[in-house]
Amino acid sequence: MTRPSPFSIRGRRALMVMRDEREISIVRRQLGRLGMTISEHDPAEPPPIRPSDVILLDADSIPIKSDHATLWKGSVPIIAVIGTETPSRLKWLLDLRPASFLVKPLRSAGLYTALVIAFDSAQRRVEQAAHIEKLEDRIRSRRVVFAAILQVMRGHDMSETEAFALIRQTAMRHRTTIEVLSAQILAAGGMPNRNTRTA
Amino acid sequence: MMAGEMRKSALMAVDEINQSDAFDFTFTPHLRNPGGIVAEYHTACADLIREEHVGHIVGCYTSASRKQVIPIVERTERLLWHPARYEGFESSDNVIYVGAAPNQHVVPLVRHMLDHISADVFCIGSNYIWTWEMNRVIREIVTSASGRILAERLLELGETAVDHIVTEVIDRRPPVVFNTLVGESSYAFMRALHAAATRAGLSIPMLSCSLCEPELKLIGSAASVGCITSSAYFESIEGTENRSFVARWKARHGEDSSLSVDGQSTYVCVMLLARAIRRAGSAEVGAVRRAAANHRYDSPQGPVWVDPDNNHCFLTPRLARSMPGCQFSIFWEADAPERPDPYLSNLDLSAFGRRSGKSNDAVAKRSNHLRIVK
Repeated sequence: MTRPSPFSIRGRRALMVMRDEREISIVRRQLGRLGMTISEHDPAEPPPIRPSDVILLDADSIPIKSDHATLWKGSVPIIAVIGTETPSRLKWLLDLRPASFLVKPLRSAGLYTALVIAFDSAQRRVEQAAHIEKLEDRIRSRRVVFAAILQVMRGHDMSETEAFALIRQTAMRHRTTIEVLSAQILAAGGMPNRNTRTA
Repeated sequence: MMAGEMRKSALMAVDEINQSDAFDFTFTPHLRNPGGIVAEYHTACADLIREEHVGHIVGCYTSASRKQVIPIVERTERLLWHPARYEGFESSDNVIYVGAAPNQHVVPLVRHMLDHISADVFCIGSNYIWTWEMNRVIREIVTSASGRILAERLLELGETAVDHIVTEVIDRRPPVVFNTLVGESSYAFMRALHAAATRAGLSIPMLSCSLCEPELKLIGSAASVGCITSSAYFESIEGTENRSFVARWKARHGEDSSLSVDGQSTYVCVMLLARAIRRAGSAEVGAVRRAAANHRYDSPQGPVWVDPDNNHCFLTPRLARSMPGCQFSIFWEADAPERPDPYLSNLDLSAFGRRSGKSNDAVAKRSNHLRIVK
């Protein structure tokens, strides 16, 4: 899969969750220049269902202790628009995991950078999550791999190093992973037929 | 209510300056009333600057209104003289912060609570930035001293349906209630809690860092008594500057009128401005800002001067108890004006941890930097 460039902004959908008319008009003009599709949403309302690619969220206009404050947390990157820098407000923001931020008073400069950083960090977040999931799968399979090594050690009277080398070579020949082959070894009660291709 | 008090004080200061031989210039006040509507503050200031060509603006009570004004005073290089205490975490070159910073209002009050009342506290406040940030500071200090936040209840601004919280307070009997409610919510809560506590035969101490004299009148004589309040100014401050100030105020506004910290602070704003202009020999913003720095003014609340590091003021924190007759009885004040610390970057939380648990020690240590008055 090719990685979408964080620099390509045109055609992406921005949701403005802001209240101040002056700020909205600055952001709307700049997003329009960048070719984004823009929609607006009242900060007092719970998040809308319609999808967007980035959310510009005015942190000052949403009460910290409100029922739907944390509903904004999700997979769509958030650009926090910050006026108040008190730790209580920033703590609330951190919980939303903003991908980027802008400081008020807003001007046209800075918005493009905020968007690029938001798209890039959102993409990295997705990639990191996939990577972590892969690593976690591997950790979960360790028990299976270990059991398969023991089985091969007993069945073929091998040392642990020899058994692991055999499993690894076989997995490579079968074009599969050590973890998948190990599961097959346990299911078959021994090394699977070498002529069988798994993939 | 506060806006009216602040306007009266500003105009009193302007009149005094215009009538005084000590200043070889006069002020022409231009008044605008955004009426508490947040979006109107920007428009009002833009109008003052473009139409009236004012260089200096005195006003704004809430942080929301101040945040509206800051972009325009920064862009046009004007100065906003801000009288109200606030939650901190701001430092604009184009604002002179004359109200108390958090180290000057909430910190001394929490320190008093830990030393003399309890480390376990029930917090109730209005659902906006002031309460959120006060509660955060209270929580940080209290937990450092091994205390507990028993509850954190919030009411929407202006909400006066307080019975459910009053019932909870009476049921749970916390050792102390920290009240960061504002306006009508606070008055309703204090009245209702007083009535319920009286019925139940309870006496629960209450703390506030915003209560002022005119509010005591609004709450009512019985329910307003006994609230331990932190402020840089009370009408009852002894000293010739304040006695004379109170007399001039009452001569102007009537014997029944009361001063408030925000009214007095607005007066101080105008006086600091006038003195800085006199010192600079110019009303130009850069010159005034430089002249205001470290220029001591013996105000009604005592010596005040601007700290050029952060444009906030050196002020003397005080603690007082509200008394019958809608006045405060001051029982503690800092030895000297305290350096403003808007980001609480000098707050040593470990010191609160050391204070807890060893009462004799604490008293000995406290006497080094606290002075009991009266």
